[in-house]
Amino acid sequence: MIFNEIYSVYYQVVAKIIEEIIRGDAEEKHLDRIVREYAFSESMQTVLPALKGEKWQLMRRDRTTPIQHPPTMPLTLIQKQWLKAITLDPRIQLFDVEIRGLEEVEPLFTSEDYVVYDKYGDGDPFEDEGYITRFRTILSALKERQALKIQMVNRRGQLVLMQAMPVRLEYSEKDDKFRLISTGCRYGGTVNLGRIVSCEKCEAGHFASPIPPSPVKRWLTLRIRDERNTLERCLLHFAHFKKQAERMDANHYLVHIQYDKDDETEMIIRILSFGPMVEVIQPEPVRKLMIERLQRQKSCGLF
Amino acid sequence: MSAYQELIKNFEKIRGYMREFYVYGFKSREEYNKKSARSYDDERRRMESWLGDHMSFVRTPEGKTVFISIDSRVSQHNPFYKALKAKSFTDGDITLHFLLLDILYAPAVSLSLPEILAQIDQSLSCFENPMVFDESTVRKKLKEYIEQGIIVGEKVGRKMMYHRAGDVELPGITDLLNFYSEVAPCGVIGSFLLDKAENPPDFFAFKHHYITSAIDSDVLAMLFTAMRKKNAVTVWNLSRAADQPSKIQMIPLRVFISVQNGRQHLLAYQPQFHTIKSFRIDYLSDVKLEGYAPRFDELRAELDKMQSKMWGVTSSKSHHGKEHIEHVEFTVRVGRNEEHIVRRLEREKRIGRVEKVGKDTYRFTAEVYDTSEMIPWIRTFICRITELRFSNRMLENQFKRDMEEMYHMYGIAEEKHDFQ
Repeated sequence: MIFNEIYSVYYQVVAKIIEEIIRGDAEEKHLDRIVREYAFSESMQTVLPALKGEKWQLMRRDRTTPIQHPPTMPLTLIQKQWLKAITLDPRIQLFDVEIRGLEEVEPLFTSEDYVVYDKYGDGDPFEDEGYITRFRTILSALKERQALKIQMVNRRGQLVLMQAMPVRLEYSEKDDKFRLISTGCRYGGTVNLGRIVSCEKCEAGHFASPIPPSPVKRWLTLRIRDERNTLERCLLHFAHFKKQAERMDANHYLVHIQYDKDDETEMIIRILSFGPMVEVIQPEPVRKLMIERLQRQKSCGLF
Repeated sequence: MSAYQELIKNFEKIRGYMREFYVYGFKSREEYNKKSARSYDDERRRMESWLGDHMSFVRTPEGKTVFISIDSRVSQHNPFYKALKAKSFTDGDITLHFLLLDILYAPAVSLSLPEILAQIDQSLSCFENPMVFDESTVRKKLKEYIEQGIIVGEKVGRKMMYHRAGDVELPGITDLLNFYSEVAPCGVIGSFLLDKAENPPDFFAFKHHYITSAIDSDVLAMLFTAMRKKNAVTVWNLSRAADQPSKIQMIPLRVFISVQNGRQHLLAYQPQFHTIKSFRIDYLSDVKLEGYAPRFDELRAELDKMQSKMWGVTSSKSHHGKEHIEHVEFTVRVGRNEEHIVRRLEREKRIGRVEKVGKDTYRFTAEVYDTSEMIPWIRTFICRITELRFSNRMLENQFKRDMEEMYHMYGIAEEKHDFQ
């Protein structure tokens, strides 16, 4: 259904090669570059030799082609069905687009067919007109590399004004929120879109570097005791980080995870959720924070 | 013995290896070799070719260990989508693909099979040893493309005429595709659409972004198709308890996606046991559509009702024909300037209610099918839990024993309690 050669990298690369030949740019070096750029690392050994050897009869030995039109392919049924499905999602309004030609198409899925059951309940108001306008302004500033004048409510509920150079929009599926990652802002580089009250584009002016400071990365090491299926649960839970696992013995494993220092509290909470099956081994400051929480728990008089 | 190829015919085998390398990544070559040494080497080499820098290895006393390590917050697009773009094909397939779409280059060009065959022969006549496509091969390919929706076959009189399908206008759709190809189910389809654009700019990044489900896209698309058609399916399921997959019949009702644990489940009715059960989608394979399921709407309505008592994916457990429900409550202490804890309770609870029960204490209460699914969340409030009451006493005692064990683990235990 989805795993089909018509979507394959090889078909895409051959389409680009034919297009270049039709345009009159059939230099071997150029065709090599297309394969290197768009295909897999070992595709060089297959694609051009198959074309040059006339195994795939789409290019002659003199690098001309019997194909007369630049290759194109209409959308497949499943592509149309998927597009139709996403037009039914409430977040679609953030994007100022109208897709025509899907009126008769059945969606691949609707909100009745799946549920994201553990996302947080205070996600961004994606259907709010003000939010949609601000989102579009930010996206437009990103494309045009323009700065933004932003008015937002801070954690203490106060209105603050700031100017920033937008770098990207970061979406968290768990929080169901967008954050604006920016540079040049005195309140820090990350702003929740939900806190922005108004924003407008302004001259880039003094924002010299569009690159925000890299987040501070830390490694932590966990020891997993594989009971109650903890190994699989834990490795899947932390799968979205850069990580490496090693086996200590039949029942114990070490996993090293790289995380952003800013997310340390969140990491501690996530580790606590595994109870005694997962122990922080390193670094010592994180282990101390775990101990602090447990000591505070002891003072709660639960038992 | 055939030579190594970068492309693959069957996705199932590599799906298993990818999961092993990405989720676990601590097994040595020798452990995989129990299956086939050559197979391991080929699959590893393919993944290196597709995933490049995301593949790493370490040497351990047990041998070389290969693993995939990806910080999905940094990668703007899911690297696993590449695996779904590596389907093998024959020399005839690719030649015919480009010739057919070139001959039928616009929806207005409508030709019969003999006319198409004549044009194919003419196009290939310039080669030294031109390929020969017989009528049945071309008819089969056209039929395949009609099913894919890219070619339309229409009877005109007694003749079947073929033309290219009309396209959809997609102006300025890149931002939308960059976003939905990462967050929507079967997002790889959005990635296929993005492949049509020339190096589209991308302004999105994703936090807490689980990417493993990409390799289950085909299974998921089939399950969605079954649900849209209200069909039953047969599917192979590899449960944790079994070594070998088993073939089961079910009526798929809803996909449950987690954005906190990286797993996707299917809630489906199993006629054999008259029950709605959850199945891990990454353990399912080879989904086949069966006939229309007349009870689909009734069963989905039943699942709708159940969801108010489901914390995760465990649905109603029947004890002697009666619905089994468990009571859960716990109280937390919220200090000064800790209002964020109350907000956490409110936004993170999926069912149940939160109430203020004292000057600085809040209680969460819920009725659930399975208390054990809720325990990891309750543990995230460790440092402020002042009361805990589960109707499932066994789990309450286990929770308390686990707490004791954590105190021991971190060297802060005093005396041992006996929880009976």
